[in-house]
Amino acid sequence: MVHYNLKRITVVPTGKDFVDIVLSRTQRQTPTVIHKSYAINRIRQFYMRKVKYTQATFDEKLGTIIDEFPQLDDIHPFYGDLMNVLYDRDHYKLALGQLRTAKRLVEKICKDYVKLLKYGDSLYRCKQLKKAALGRMCTLMKRVGPSLAYLEQVRQHMARLPSIDPNTRTILICGYPNVGKSSFINKITRADVDVQPYAFTTKSLFVGHTDYKYLRWQVIDTPGILDHPLEDRNTIEMLSITALAHIRAAVLFFVDVSGSCGYSIAQQAALFNSIRPLFDNKPLLVVCSKIDLQSLESLPEEDRQLIMEMKKEASKCSGGIASEMMVEDDDCLLTMSTLTEEGVINVKNTACEKLLQHRVEGKMKSKKLEDVRNRIHVAMPRPRDTRERPPVIPAGVLEARAAAAPRAPRRLEKDLENENGGAGVYSANLRRRYILADESWKEDVVPEIADGHNIADFIDTDILKRLDELDREEHQREEGESEEEDMDDDEFRKLSPEEQEALAAIRLARRNIREEHRLKKTTADSRPMVPRKHDKDKRFTVSRMERHLSNLGIDPSAAAARARSKSRGRKRDRSLGYDEEAGVEAMDVEQPKSKKLRMKSRTRSQSRASMEVVPGEGFKDSAQKQQALALGKKAMKKRSTGKTDRR
Amino acid sequence: MRLEKCWFCSSTIYPGHGMMYVRNDAKIFRFCRSKCHKNFKMKRNPRKVKWTKIYRKLHGKELPQDTTFELERKRNRPERYDRNVVEDTVKAMKKISETRVEREAQTLANRMRGKKTQQRREDLAELQQGIHLVKAPTALLEEPSLTLPKEKMKVKVSVEQESKAMES
Repeated sequence: MVHYNLKRITVVPTGKDFVDIVLSRTQRQTPTVIHKSYAINRIRQFYMRKVKYTQATFDEKLGTIIDEFPQLDDIHPFYGDLMNVLYDRDHYKLALGQLRTAKRLVEKICKDYVKLLKYGDSLYRCKQLKKAALGRMCTLMKRVGPSLAYLEQVRQHMARLPSIDPNTRTILICGYPNVGKSSFINKITRADVDVQPYAFTTKSLFVGHTDYKYLRWQVIDTPGILDHPLEDRNTIEMLSITALAHIRAAVLFFVDVSGSCGYSIAQQAALFNSIRPLFDNKPLLVVCSKIDLQSLESLPEEDRQLIMEMKKEASKCSGGIASEMMVEDDDCLLTMSTLTEEGVINVKNTACEKLLQHRVEGKMKSKKLEDVRNRIHVAMPRPRDTRERPPVIPAGVLEARAAAAPRAPRRLEKDLENENGGAGVYSANLRRRYILADESWKEDVVPEIADGHNIADFIDTDILKRLDELDREEHQREEGESEEEDMDDDEFRKLSPEEQEALAAIRLARRNIREEHRLKKTTADSRPMVPRKHDKDKRFTVSRMERHLSNLGIDPSAAAARARSKSRGRKRDRSLGYDEEAGVEAMDVEQPKSKKLRMKSRTRSQSRASMEVVPGEGFKDSAQKQQALALGKKAMKKRSTGKTDRR
Repeated sequence: MRLEKCWFCSSTIYPGHGMMYVRNDAKIFRFCRSKCHKNFKMKRNPRKVKWTKIYRKLHGKELPQDTTFELERKRNRPERYDRNVVEDTVKAMKKISETRVEREAQTLANRMRGKKTQQRREDLAELQQGIHLVKAPTALLEEPSLTLPKEKMKVKVSVEQESKAMES
């Protein structure tokens, strides 16, 4: 049996939309380019494909609709009847039938035109054939349009039907309009049914769920029923009738004792009698509602009589034990008021109990129970003889049981902790449980590190043996050592302190040379080097030379004299005619002229005029030097503040 | 509490020092300081880095293997505490340490043997080659010893003294 999901049926498009959908799909999913110069087979294939594709699409879509809409014969008769009431069985069947026919016809069209296309001789002819085929299919669809519209409406309504399970435990509420059925269901379930003072507020079935004895119960609220023959009933009333007819449920017939619904008790009793046949084999309860407005005792005699009759009927038709014993079941009549909420729960519980009993009785009577009963069986061995065979308990176990007299409770760590200050204060001494060779070692402070080594790395039970071996090795090594001697004194003697001085001086000199060279190397590009002959800073003096030479061990006097004599002194000193010191004329002295000159010559004067250009400074002549100096001075001058400064 | 060894330079890592790196294959690398850590990150091989212990041992600068080293070995199975054993161990550790130090000193001495001779030879050669930088050849001819020359410059003070000496 196919399972229908009435809430998930695909949307049924209108006729026009249907055609649009199918044709656009064909256009998108099949190739579109064709030219009359192609091979004729190719042209034929092209158009045949289009026709076939359209037919397949129609087939598919119509097929889904036909499959998804439920077959009224396949579903539960309750739903079948419901749908008949709501949608008219004939109309429904006709609509679906029409769709089926349409499907078949589309197939036929496709076959015919494909046969024709096989012999199409030109592009034009094939195209026309395709056009004709598709046109006919679409016209077919247009004819089917009204059915599609109807089915769409059916689908929309079906999706909103309440999901009633016809097989589970159900309580059905029926009665005249406005008696308080919807208020009751609102009270016992979470259903939110409209409650209004006018009649026929409830226009369709409503489902609520409630619990009793850990089971789920369906409660179905029906629209009110009026008392007239079946043929005259309208759709809404038919809903209640259908529900009553098909669902095996506990029925609560509501009677309004106060008459505020607008109908007298007599009328309600009449209704009861007319729909009595529907209550066969169903546990029935007559519920008097609105008891707060009018109590049962204060009713007039006739009304009370009618209600008692109803009760008698109710107990009769619920069947079971009561009817067999012909005893009036007190449970059949209950009173309640939804306004004051008295008796509401009582009604529910009674109804549920009655239904449960009814169902259990039914199951007991059915054959299925025997199948279940047969499976449960406790096998007992048949006694062979009269000998007693009690169960065997081993002796050890018996002894243990005897010995397991309640001992004094052990002193636990927990007790110790509690004694010594509780959880936060007491810290358990884990060392108590240590297993050591000597008990006194338990509280030892074990060293871990010594002298940059881990003690644990050295621990060895035969450490002493190892130590002995080590000692032996050491002895051997020492003996070996004492034989060798350091014999490197002979070859080269030690340097004397003076020689060491000389060595230090040599190293110093070498270092200085290196340094100077490095300095010269780095500054060569950045600074102009004054050649020594110009000697602007006057570093290279004769006295310096003298010092150097004497450091080297040479007598500098001769060299110094030569140097001094070579340099030309002042003009006046060079003149032969005057000897300052002696005050004696030069002629008197017997020395040769050149020698005198040499003795009197002095180096040039240390001071210089500022304009004088010293070769090595880089100036062409003194004029240029003056210019340079002037520029330098100008650069250092402070300019006036204001706009000129920023330029 | 355990003293660990630095993976790179093999020095001891005291508590509160260094860094530990755990690789994805669960191998643990401990470093004594960021110098070692950075060298490791640069993927340098400690066997090629001069100042590490591994290099020194590998290239014979230090005692490579010895019974004293074998006595110090990480034991994975803990031994049951025995006071006497621990006492003996602590004393033995001292002795072992002493012998190790002696042996290391011995290796050093072996390595440095012949250094003095070489040094002296080199000094002499340097002196002979470089004496010209501090002593003029003429002075060397007069006085062939490899020492600094006596200063020959006439200093004014000394001249006066000389004359005074001569006078007196």
